[in-house]
Amino acid sequence: MRGLVAVAALGGALLVTLALAAPHLAQASPVLVVSTLAACVAVAALAVQPWLTRRRVGAHVRVGGIVAALVAVHVVALFVESPDDALYSMSLDGPTRARMALFATVLLVVVTLLGLLRRRLPWSVATWRFVHGSLAGLVVVLGVGHAVLIQGALDGWGTAVLVALGGLAAVGVVVRLVRVLRTPPPGGGAQRSPTTQPTQEGDATAHDRGQVRPRDEAHG
Amino acid sequence: MPTTRTGPHPVAVGAVVLLVAVIAAALWNSDESGTGARQVGEAGGETVAPAAALPPPVPGASCAPTITNPGGDNNYREDAPLDVPLGRGLVITGTVRDTACRPLPGVPVQVWLQTALGSERENRTTVLTGPDGRYRVASDPAVAQFGEPNVHVAHDPDESPWRSVWQRHVLHPEDTLAVVDLTLAPVS
Repeated sequence: MRGLVAVAALGGALLVTLALAAPHLAQASPVLVVSTLAACVAVAALAVQPWLTRRRVGAHVRVGGIVAALVAVHVVALFVESPDDALYSMSLDGPTRARMALFATVLLVVVTLLGLLRRRLPWSVATWRFVHGSLAGLVVVLGVGHAVLIQGALDGWGTAVLVALGGLAAVGVVVRLVRVLRTPPPGGGAQRSPTTQPTQEGDATAHDRGQVRPRDEAHG
Repeated sequence: MPTTRTGPHPVAVGAVVLLVAVIAAALWNSDESGTGARQVGEAGGETVAPAAALPPPVPGASCAPTITNPGGDNNYREDAPLDVPLGRGLVITGTVRDTACRPLPGVPVQVWLQTALGSERENRTTVLTGPDGRYRVASDPAVAQFGEPNVHVAHDPDESPWRSVWQRHVLHPEDTLAVVDLTLAPVS
């Protein structure tokens, strides 16, 4: 786990360095630089997100909040940079890459809300995990795909690092989804029962064990 | 739940699969550079294309008016400086015609684009077409702006006998020539 976090942190640092070194940002406004760097850090944070669901749910919740905030900064900064172009990108006539970003952003909001509302939704553990996890996987594919298609600060080696971080996240989503959906949570999956102890290591999160305080979620 | 064992609800699975299909279809049906935007750049140089781009006006011919494409009026401002060079390395040119395919001299055309030193919001000029209906703007090469180098060409002066039209098209950073022709329809 620490190794993964280190790899993602290294990847994020590489993205930031490559973006700052690229000629694209040499004459750019501070707003565009902030937007780009926020997105770089968000990709690195996304890379560890699925892996954190294994016994690090508190961190997963906090990092999720950070990703949502970074993406908000990214979008708002682009809007400040050029409202006309931002609105065009968000419209249905925008380029493919912008449409990918639009879907990724909407899905990120949904995924974040699912995380915040987990305890209030009358869904089974398996259903919640499947929806939250698969939509998060879509966020990764669409968000990183949009960054790869964009010509600008992260071409060449930047694209390679983006693909590597996106791959780390996508593999994590698949591995964790398969793992948690194959091994039934306590209570047969019909309803969560926080008092029941997990039967196998790794098949239940701290949420299931009732070890995440509501305060952590609210702050996420 | 259909079973007592674990497993996501079939409705949830179906909804996610449907969502993936809808997103895939929406991406498949989108234009790579935005609706109506096409590659207008050439790396060959200025002397190659414009001569070929001007077909002889045939009596009785009719040209379809240029349709404003989405994003064409992004960052448009009426008060562009007249005939200011925007640098060197790229020439944006094209022929302005009426719907009978006749070249229109003396028609103002505004060009704006992002270059290394000028943002799309500031870097603009308005030029008049020559006797052959052709306008020409020299500029620094286009650089990516919001993900791709693009160039805007518009005709929208007050009191013009021609309808306003805005174009946004894309090119490559290394292109030395961009050709955007306009066919204008009368106002009434």
